[in-house]
Amino acid sequence: MNAAVSPMSYLGAGYSLRSWLTTQDHKRIAILYAVSITAFFFIGGAAATLIRLELLSPHGTLVTAETYNKLFTAHGVIMVWFFLIPSIPATLGNFLVPLMIGAHDLAFPRLNLLSWYLYMFGALFTLAALIAGGVDTGWTFYTPFSTMFSSSYVVATVAGVFIVGFSSILTGLNFIVTVHRLRTPGLGYFRLPLFVWAIYATSLILVLATPVLAMTLVLLAAERLFGIGIFDPALGGDPLLFQHLFWFYSHPAVYIMILPAMGVVSEVITCFARKPIFGYHMMAYAIVAIASIGFLVWGHHMFVSGQSMYAGMTFSFLSYLVAIPSAIKVFNWTATLYKGSISFAAPMLYALGFILLFMLGGLTGLFLAALALDVHLTDTYFVVAHFHYIMVGGAVMAYFAGIHFWWPKITGRMYSARWAQFAAVVIFVGFNVTFFPQYLLGIEGMPRRYHDYPSEFQVLHVFSSAGAAILALGYLLPFVYLAWSLRFGPPAGANPWNARGLEWQTPSPPPEDNFPSKPDIPTRPYDYAAGAAAAST
Amino acid sequence: MSERVHSSPPVGSYVTVWALLILLLALTLGSSFIALHGLNFAVNLAIACAKAALVAVFFMRLRRSDALTRLAAAAAVLWILILVSLGLADVLTRV
Amino acid sequence: MSVPHRSSVGEFGMWVFLASEMLFFSVLFFGYLVTRLHHPLGFASASRHTDVVIGSVNTAVLLTSSLMMALAGRSAAAGARRSAAGLLAATAGFGLIFLALKGLEYAHDAQHQLVPWRDFSLAFEPDAGGTRLFFWLYFIMTGAHALHLLIGITLVLTLMVVVARARHAIRHAETVEIIGLYWHLVDVVWIFLYPLLYLVSRT
Repeated sequence: MNAAVSPMSYLGAGYSLRSWLTTQDHKRIAILYAVSITAFFFIGGAAATLIRLELLSPHGTLVTAETYNKLFTAHGVIMVWFFLIPSIPATLGNFLVPLMIGAHDLAFPRLNLLSWYLYMFGALFTLAALIAGGVDTGWTFYTPFSTMFSSSYVVATVAGVFIVGFSSILTGLNFIVTVHRLRTPGLGYFRLPLFVWAIYATSLILVLATPVLAMTLVLLAAERLFGIGIFDPALGGDPLLFQHLFWFYSHPAVYIMILPAMGVVSEVITCFARKPIFGYHMMAYAIVAIASIGFLVWGHHMFVSGQSMYAGMTFSFLSYLVAIPSAIKVFNWTATLYKGSISFAAPMLYALGFILLFMLGGLTGLFLAALALDVHLTDTYFVVAHFHYIMVGGAVMAYFAGIHFWWPKITGRMYSARWAQFAAVVIFVGFNVTFFPQYLLGIEGMPRRYHDYPSEFQVLHVFSSAGAAILALGYLLPFVYLAWSLRFGPPAGANPWNARGLEWQTPSPPPEDNFPSKPDIPTRPYDYAAGAAAAST
Repeated sequence: MSERVHSSPPVGSYVTVWALLILLLALTLGSSFIALHGLNFAVNLAIACAKAALVAVFFMRLRRSDALTRLAAAAAVLWILILVSLGLADVLTRV
Repeated sequence: MSVPHRSSVGEFGMWVFLASEMLFFSVLFFGYLVTRLHHPLGFASASRHTDVVIGSVNTAVLLTSSLMMALAGRSAAAGARRSAAGLLAATAGFGLIFLALKGLEYAHDAQHQLVPWRDFSLAFEPDAGGTRLFFWLYFIMTGAHALHLLIGITLVLTLMVVVARARHAIRHAETVEIIGLYWHLVDVVWIFLYPLLYLVSRT
């Protein structure tokens, strides 16, 4: 492939397609995932581009109302299940967890490969359904519309998502067993990097929440095919039952996206501030707390659905509780920066962008958790803006931070630092121009999922679409300069950032069995000597 | 491995657990034909829980498992309780 | 005996998988509970039409299969190849008896038009919506369980062949243990299905 790859590196283990498709090496499987999710990211992004083009004018003429509904559904389904859920865990998690704990692979390497095949099979199946016929229910598949009235390809779409669910469960299972059982001797739980804690907590959600979605989708398909009626009020069923089950998975699913992001950001912030993370134990507990409390709040998606108001009050209160561990994390990152010797390398810029955007997304979440205020804001663009700040501003920013941080480790090559910094700024600006106006649109009452709107909303929509153009450019940039670095980038060396994790003790790219010699176990994680500057590249 | 052989409980103890399970089955079946003023459901559920516990503790060997394995089993039960209790918080208090 | 046995990587992995399986089935149980709360009458009258004799016998069959499975694990750990293979065969055998009886029961259900499809015989009872939903849930829940049992039988039979051919049965002790865990969980699911589908209102 290139000269920087030594014959013993995992990249040199085989060049044929077959060697990739039958690999059981967690690092190669991570690459398989990275390539696949990147493809889905651009497909989902194409749908978003069409949506923003349609919304440029109040009575858009680009697509019909029906096509518009199918577009936002495709965008949601692809981005949530085929990009965001597997993004950090299946790529960076797969690559890094064994390295960070000094193991040679995950606990079940063959299962790991099976997970990727399940993911690909399910995702391509759904993609075919989305392209061949399309689905107009939104990614939430709410009943009874999805079961009784929609005339689109609901069952086929849901079948693919069901299969991808098993990929999630098996990946989570693999991580849980690996973290418990394969840590190198001497590496106790409280010496683990926070990224490993985050992937572990994410895995708990994958294993405990995904099966609930899977069985719910089975019921949904059965209802649509046979008219069972368990979700249909006309037949004596309970439509809210579907929403309860759906959100029991789908709210924690947000934490599947954001917890690994928090893990990445913790690694990056401490490295580029040259300081140990502030309050390591609190950070670890906060991760577990967010994962657990995240299971108790799903009803805040149902405040105006006809759910009992007592349940509403309970869910509202519990939702506020999640703010506590989330705030602990933001405070501790800030405290880590305090008096640090900060350098603004590209990973750090992405990570700082994450903190700002996550804060905005998190704080506006409190508006939505407030029972009375939510009545006004439900199903408006305020909600759209809120979750994009978390899932794109948060999760995708952190994914890019992670990719830029570990790129030299994964590929053995360095990318252009200046282009990377430039792209980080473009993405940050483009993101805010796209989504901040949507908060304002929501407050003014613009409902989500409409292709047509009163002309007084046009100014803000034009801002949003213009921002989307900047954002699209920003996302294309890394694609170009990272690809360039694969061929022309200077060799990175084992530890270009002078970072402290075990993964930096092995050559870049790592050899097939990860460590040529047993890595040194630090007495505490993030042992950055105060004042030592990061090695410049 | 030899450790395992020594620590295997005798056949009799397994048969005793099985006999208990069959007894509980008879009990739950019998009690269902007696009107217990709305308590039938509770009795049936309690007996089912007892049977499940017997299977988990003796047949699935939770009795001899390490803390981690027990934690996995407990987490699943706890999470089911979360789904049922918070879900019913809505269904039972709807106006 | 008081020293806790440190579970192997495979055993622990199976436990994590079983935790996932439990949540999988919990959807059906929760759905059942909510629907029953909406239709106490329909559930009571519909459940009287399930076959309590076959249901109860099948419960006993499955509990016995679990005993065989547990004993198979014990034999394998002791290196007793023949008895381990025999007990695995018995386990699968009881599983097959369960499925045969279940099939017979389904045939009876169809005969009495209890499939809530077109000619549903309980369609004119009070709370017909409830009776219909009960029988849909009955078929989905027992169907999901039967599917899991079928997977279990396949695994146990394969394992039986492996153990019977093995030079040292003790090498497969861990696998017997792991597949046993799965078998027992399928049994536990039925332990809960039984009172919910057959014993709702028998007085």
